Amino acid sequence: MTYRADVLIIGAGASGGVAARHLAEHGFDVVCLEQGDWPDRSAFPGTRPDWELAIRKDWAMSPNVRNRPEDYPVVHDESDIEPLMYNAVGGSMIIYAGTWPRMLPSDFRVRTMDDVADDWPIAYRELVPYYDAIDQQIGVSGLAGDPAYPPHDDYPLPPLPLGAAGRRVAEGHNRLGWHWWPEPNAILSAPYDGRRPCVQRGVCTSGCAEGAKASTDLTHWPKAAAAGARLITGARVSRITLGPQGLATGAVWLDRSGVEHHQEADVVILAANAIGTARLLLLSADDRHCPDGLANSSGLVGRRLMMHPFSVVTGWWDDQVEGWQGHFGASITSYQYYESDPDRGFVRGAKWALSPVGGPLNHILPMRAGNEVWGPDHHVLMGRTFGRGASWAIFGEDLPEESNRVELDPERADTHGIPAPRVSYRISDHSRRLMAFQEDRATESLKASGCQETAVASMIPYSGWHLMGTARMGNDPATSVVNSRQQAHDVANLYVADASVFVTSSGVNPTCTITALALRTADLLVQHRSEQKVPA
Amino acid sequence: MTAAVSPAETSDIDIGRLTALADVMLPAAHGMPAVSDVEAVEAYLAQVLSWRDDLRQPLVRAVDALDPTSFTIDRLMALHEEDEDAYVALTSAVAACYYLSPVVRELIGYPGQVAKTYDPYAYTEWVAEGLLDPVVERGPIWREAPE
Repeated sequence: MTYRADVLIIGAGASGGVAARHLAEHGFDVVCLEQGDWPDRSAFPGTRPDWELAIRKDWAMSPNVRNRPEDYPVVHDESDIEPLMYNAVGGSMIIYAGTWPRMLPSDFRVRTMDDVADDWPIAYRELVPYYDAIDQQIGVSGLAGDPAYPPHDDYPLPPLPLGAAGRRVAEGHNRLGWHWWPEPNAILSAPYDGRRPCVQRGVCTSGCAEGAKASTDLTHWPKAAAAGARLITGARVSRITLGPQGLATGAVWLDRSGVEHHQEADVVILAANAIGTARLLLLSADDRHCPDGLANSSGLVGRRLMMHPFSVVTGWWDDQVEGWQGHFGASITSYQYYESDPDRGFVRGAKWALSPVGGPLNHILPMRAGNEVWGPDHHVLMGRTFGRGASWAIFGEDLPEESNRVELDPERADTHGIPAPRVSYRISDHSRRLMAFQEDRATESLKASGCQETAVASMIPYSGWHLMGTARMGNDPATSVVNSRQQAHDVANLYVADASVFVTSSGVNPTCTITALALRTADLLVQHRSEQKVPA
Repeated sequence: MTAAVSPAETSDIDIGRLTALADVMLPAAHGMPAVSDVEAVEAYLAQVLSWRDDLRQPLVRAVDALDPTSFTIDRLMALHEEDEDAYVALTSAVAACYYLSPVVRELIGYPGQVAKTYDPYAYTEWVAEGLLDPVVERGPIWREAPE
């Protein structure tokens, strides 16, 4: 007899974990299919001497470089930014920095306020209760009262240490009269919910062996499983299936041996990131119901991909600040140039996050900036800079363009023969103006903070952590893929829980908002369960 | 997966030739030792290749392609143009060996990525000291948005 779940979730990362826990705790029978495996914290490289070598191959953020069996290739020859992700229970949270900013009220109203892109069909205020709830679930460390934000609940834990560099830049901003604030991080500053606190090792982006950095394999899946959710790992979904009424009936998936299965469900939730979700919707094209892809009557599935242009401005002092240590994550943040000012020649802005700079190999080997110095000058460079720096990591708001998109590649495929996604993406002239302005201001910041030397790594290609926008939310089915509940306009029992639904990108790291939206979507599904259409 | 495994075989790599190249890349200068002074290639190459076996073949190509007797940094940069994988393997292997040396780490003051303890409530001191006061006194900087 075929087993049919109440809800099938595809992807066990940030949004999938949050939705699974909430639905299971409210009595739903939940099954999740995840192509990766449970992360093994003892295998994380950050405590090993080969750490900086490992992050260039087996622990690279690019699935194309990592090339593990659970990864799928992402064709990006026609992209200015390389998409980055991690496939496992916990998803890309395993390798994210852990900074945890909320979006701002203006982020949801860019058409009304700045005459660009589109407004979201929801407002900041509607997300606040979910932001507050998710902060408690995750265990966020931070300090309330940031004047860059409307007042909101305090964080459950105190802020992580400023560190020597954070303190210096904070004082520099006070001299300039510029905003700064301790960054909220999804990294524990004190024991919380059975997890240990951060030890400031500075290796967050290659996996937190302490378990201090939040990822849903720690924060949500154990609780979801305790509530009855079932998680199948090594399960690669090839397509979502449709019934005669045009409702989703489940998904076809392949196990590690390539054996095909079908999981039936009343409701399907996609939580596979903005590349994986768009890929699956396109793979689920059906000649009878949806020849151009599932839920794609608007033609927008895969379009409006946003990835946040990313620059790093590094400053070096003339003494040691142990620049390789600290959470990564960020110690302090600045929103001085976040909100629009039309006098700058662009609208919208960017958030800055002050981060450590890594160990000796990160200093000298090309990864981000391509900084190469050999011969006697190498020692001069190291003596002048190693351990003496900190970097402003700058994410600029990326406005959506339909030409930036995910399609299916006609040639490349994953290890199961499923077509790979192909990404076409160009950084706009608007983004280039925005980022050039931010880079100049960040250089001023570091000079005012006492740095003797600064360098800009502008719009680094290896930076596509933030994947957003390929199944946008909206009220009009002609111009959006899902409604404000993240329910597909075309398929009443299909939901998208990940950042595919973002209407605009904001200028902040998206995971906090991804999880708040996923919690809201799951909560609305609970509230409206009696009205939910399901297949016969 | 990368793992701390037994040192790898290095018989396919001319250690002497690689060390000579490495000494041009990281020579004795400005108070720092050359690669050969700390015997970094002999001591650590096998370990590095056990972690990153994918570097092996391009490293062999780099060592074969470069003549240590006439090697210069300009020639290294030319390799970057001719065979990027070989360039990456050579620079990664040499740098990794060198910065695994305890002597070198001591000289640059790098203990590795170590665990540290701290008082999570120490922030109350800099708050009390007034570090945030100027930020707070300037007032809100976010924009009200229409519903």
